[in-house]
Amino acid sequence: MSRIRTASRNRITKTDRILFAVLLVGLLLIIYPFYNALCISFSTEQAYLSTPFMLFPSEWTFDSYITVFSDKSLWSGYKITLILVVAGTACQLFFTVITGYAMSRPKWPGKNIVMNFILITMFFSGGLIPYYYLINNLGLYNSILVMIIPGAIDTYNMLLIRNYFQNLPFALEESAKIDGANDLVILWKIFLPLATPMLATIGLFFAIGNWNQWYNAMLFIDSQSLKPLQLVLRELIVTNTAGFNPSPIGRPSFSEGLKMASIFFTIVPVMCIYPFIQRFFVKGLVVGAIKG
Amino acid sequence: MKSAKKSKLWRNVKNARYIYLLIFPAIVFYIIFNYIPMYGVRIAFQDFFPRLGISGSPSVGWDNFRYIFAQTEFWRAFRNTLVISLCRIALSFVFSVGTALILNEIRMRRFKKLAQTVFTFPHFLSWVIIAGFVNNLFMNTGVINNLVALFGGNRIDFLRNKGFFFGLLMFTEIWKEAGWGSIVYLATMAGIDAELYDAAEIDGASRFRRIVSVTLPGIRSTAVLLLILSTGSILTSGFDQIFNLYNPLVYEIADILDTYIYRTTFGTAQASNPGYGAAVGLFKSVVSCALVLLVDRIAKLTGERGII
Repeated sequence: MSRIRTASRNRITKTDRILFAVLLVGLLLIIYPFYNALCISFSTEQAYLSTPFMLFPSEWTFDSYITVFSDKSLWSGYKITLILVVAGTACQLFFTVITGYAMSRPKWPGKNIVMNFILITMFFSGGLIPYYYLINNLGLYNSILVMIIPGAIDTYNMLLIRNYFQNLPFALEESAKIDGANDLVILWKIFLPLATPMLATIGLFFAIGNWNQWYNAMLFIDSQSLKPLQLVLRELIVTNTAGFNPSPIGRPSFSEGLKMASIFFTIVPVMCIYPFIQRFFVKGLVVGAIKG
Repeated sequence: MKSAKKSKLWRNVKNARYIYLLIFPAIVFYIIFNYIPMYGVRIAFQDFFPRLGISGSPSVGWDNFRYIFAQTEFWRAFRNTLVISLCRIALSFVFSVGTALILNEIRMRRFKKLAQTVFTFPHFLSWVIIAGFVNNLFMNTGVINNLVALFGGNRIDFLRNKGFFFGLLMFTEIWKEAGWGSIVYLATMAGIDAELYDAAEIDGASRFRRIVSVTLPGIRSTAVLLLILSTGSILTSGFDQIFNLYNPLVYEIADILDTYIYRTTFGTAQASNPGYGAAVGLFKSVVSCALVLLVDRIAKLTGERGII
């Protein structure tokens, strides 16, 4: 039986070819916008206008990149975004983990009340306008903290962490308690080391979220020097409400080239890291969806 | 007896003192960032002046709601939200499952890995960047219009065209999320008992037949759970996408409740009273909450695992 099966499974059939072709088309559809943008970013305006499909720039230039690299607002955006990725992610991990840990402990007085108190917020929210005035009243307007503090606890990931801790063997904790360890020591010495893969995954999700954030900044950040990368980029390429600094080499700039160059300026770090961290995301998503 | 009970409670509280220390920041956090804004929905019933605050602004009863319910733009936004969300959910479902099926069936290991890496990547880009790509591809001198011109057509302003914009929303959503959405289904498919496939094969089932009779039933419960979960976001999803892509010429089909709230409060259509935006927000919250409860009820009645 197994012989028949392997024989039939090793033959490349017409179906396999069709599947391969469909997948290949899908791949090209995903890759093409990146490729096209890359070509435009290296192209001159004349070359762009004269080659409609731009499979390869006929005239190369680094002009767009020179302008983008000398643009102060993009660098300042980078700086803010890196601060957010580091500080924001650390803050989110810390508060989400301690909350998830507390909620994972077997019954303590008031646990159910606190649980419901948290769950309600997943179903009902006050909405944008009350939130807007709250932030203003807290004095967070135009402060970098507005991009860090309101996201400090992520309820969904907190629940994932809670489930993870709950599924760790109870005996570990019992023996530590007998040895006189308190809850803080147990979290720090036993649970955190065991949860490292889980925390890496959640930390990466937080980091990506921070890297990509612009909404809170759009609402609450006024100073150019505090705008994160995505908001700076948005003003340059989506709303066109900001312009690039004039090119330092004095040649007229090519606006599409500048836009595409600035996109690559912001996604190259993600592209470089992504292949290495992809497996963490996949694992985290599967854990979240099936167990969560 | 009573005092014994009390002292036992006290002992438990004392034992849990470190837990209270750990949960304390969360309680403060949720009160400030979730419960105070909930109290803030009072703005929806006020002629709100930021200067006077929530306690000082005059109450107007249900006037704000009467006002917004009389606006055709509000109903347009409500309709668009429902239509866009439902189409988005249906199409994402089809394309995620489809991608997972193809990846599951493909035999070239290396190629499958590569495809999965590429397909999931766009999920990690912000809509700002996707909008940059879309603007570039669909602009007047962009590749798509060059293609149209090549076949002798007239150049079309896709982004400002009501007929094309909806398709563009769906296409970009699938482009960005289908690969990511397929991961859960792929994982579920990997968990299907291989003996079922063997048995089907012995019974003479073709490859297509095996997909229909083994794979699809195998992912049914995951699919139902995810569909139930997605109903919770029917009225809230899509802001980032639409906000970065839309423009006044396509409001008719693309303006959703969230973008409407934004514009009536901060943007071009700024209303004199922030209470209007707050009223739309409250309406959205209440309907959303009701939807989740309703769908959960239906799911439980039909024997599926609920979410609450």
